[in-house]
Amino acid sequence: MIGVGRAKQNLNVVDRPLGKGKAEVSLSAFAFLFSELVQYNQGKVENISDLEHRLEEAGYAVGIRMLELLCHREKANRRETRVLGILSFVHSTVWKSLFGKVADSLEKGTEHEDEYMISEKELIVNRFVSVPQGMGGFNCGTFVAGIVKGVLDGAGFPARVTAHFVAVEGQARPRTTILIKFAEEVVQRDARLG
Amino acid sequence: MAALAPTSRMRCMYIFNRNGVCLHYHVWMRPHTTLSQQQDQKLMFGLLFSLKSFTAKMDPVGGNKGNLGMPSLPGQGCSFHSFRTNTYKLSFMESPSGIKLILVTDPRMGDLREALRFIYNNIYVEYVVKNPLYTLGQPFKCELFNSTLDQYVKTLQ
Amino acid sequence: MRASLRPSDPAVSPAIERVNAELFTLTYGAIVRQLLTDYEEIEEVNKQLDTMGYNIGARLIDDFLAKANITKCTDFRETADVIAKVGFKMFLNVTATVANWSADSMECSLILEDNPLVDFVELPETCQGLSYCNILCGVLRGALEMVSMRTEVKFVKDMLRGDDVFEIRMKLLEQMPEEYPYKNDE
Repeated sequence: MIGVGRAKQNLNVVDRPLGKGKAEVSLSAFAFLFSELVQYNQGKVENISDLEHRLEEAGYAVGIRMLELLCHREKANRRETRVLGILSFVHSTVWKSLFGKVADSLEKGTEHEDEYMISEKELIVNRFVSVPQGMGGFNCGTFVAGIVKGVLDGAGFPARVTAHFVAVEGQARPRTTILIKFAEEVVQRDARLG
Repeated sequence: MAALAPTSRMRCMYIFNRNGVCLHYHVWMRPHTTLSQQQDQKLMFGLLFSLKSFTAKMDPVGGNKGNLGMPSLPGQGCSFHSFRTNTYKLSFMESPSGIKLILVTDPRMGDLREALRFIYNNIYVEYVVKNPLYTLGQPFKCELFNSTLDQYVKTLQ
Repeated sequence: MRASLRPSDPAVSPAIERVNAELFTLTYGAIVRQLLTDYEEIEEVNKQLDTMGYNIGARLIDDFLAKANITKCTDFRETADVIAKVGFKMFLNVTATVANWSADSMECSLILEDNPLVDFVELPETCQGLSYCNILCGVLRGALEMVSMRTEVKFVKDMLRGDDVFEIRMKLLEQMPEEYPYKNDE
């Protein structure tokens, strides 16, 4: 048995079969890793917006690779061409593989045509968070916004993606909304496609 | 001060780390305070430190006693879990990592060992240790910790 | 430690929730990438990974003690066993074996054949000196220090560098008693 395991591991990374993405680690392991990502970056910046920028960057690196993995595994490399197609891919496929569930909601912005919102009652990165006074509206969901940005960018849908706390009536905890604002070119292309 | 029923038996809670830093001080009802908060916390830590040392030294059955006042490893020797006076009861737990939880209550309060364990396992670890915006070793103010703790102590008799 | 490992009471010990390992693996990859940008020297990156691991370990220990319901932790030999059998399983969902004890019981190895940190990873030419999983050494060191064991932890075998397994060497330097933290005149 041991020999077989070793033979598999010794294969070059590109020759190894790509896993099905069903392996799991504990939520704690992720929570502590993520905490240290935040703590490390807090030590590297002067202000909240730089911290957000760096967390978004880290998320972006995750997103772009997640897209590669998912395209390979789930979609036989078929590419999304429409805005709604890619949004539903993020809201369901990406969310399901990363967070084990489809996102709570996907809505179109009411004020701007090019804005969409993916909301989650309890985003995994905010699960244990109490934002201290002095950190204002800082949202750890910025990391997830970065993931979404990476996926969208990698798929050819550049967008500005941000994370926001939104108070929910009757709930003590706010939900997190990931706000997606597509680049001008994306909106125009989608309009041309009819 | 947290809102609890006036009949509540909870008085206050302290959490110390292994370096003697008071990470959290939580008051439910404490009409009488004479010391500054810093002195109060230091005294509480000193009381526990000495009591631990004394109780281990006086152990009539355990072998590993060490010397009175000498440093010991957390979890070494026996340890006390509560004492009671005519006006209050103090319940104590210490994790092998040196986190000390102290609940001060009405003297009629029952055994709180499980409650302390619950607070450590399910409230401190979840909402303080895993909060990415909390820097370890620093005193904390975490709203999720406070609200969950207040909810939980309401269930204690 | 084994003696005080009581069966977990679900009312007191929280259940262990799990997440997709890819989220974890890719997040770790993003961290290593950030460090490679932030530091020029690979040796600095290795050091930083160890430091970050230490910080994680210092937090993770309380989660571990809580979930495994451990109330005492004073013997290095038993501790190494619990890390391998319970710790690695609980957090990373892999098992490690304890091997190569030194005669004085102060040193041992943890052997891993599977390690979720390295899925999808191959070291490029420019990163040959990188100890990609160095964070694990820090985690062990940080967690052990919180239970009063000062240790030295390092990789001696690394599958990313062509070895057949991952081997982490742990050496107990001293057990630090808890001292009264305040001076009398304070």
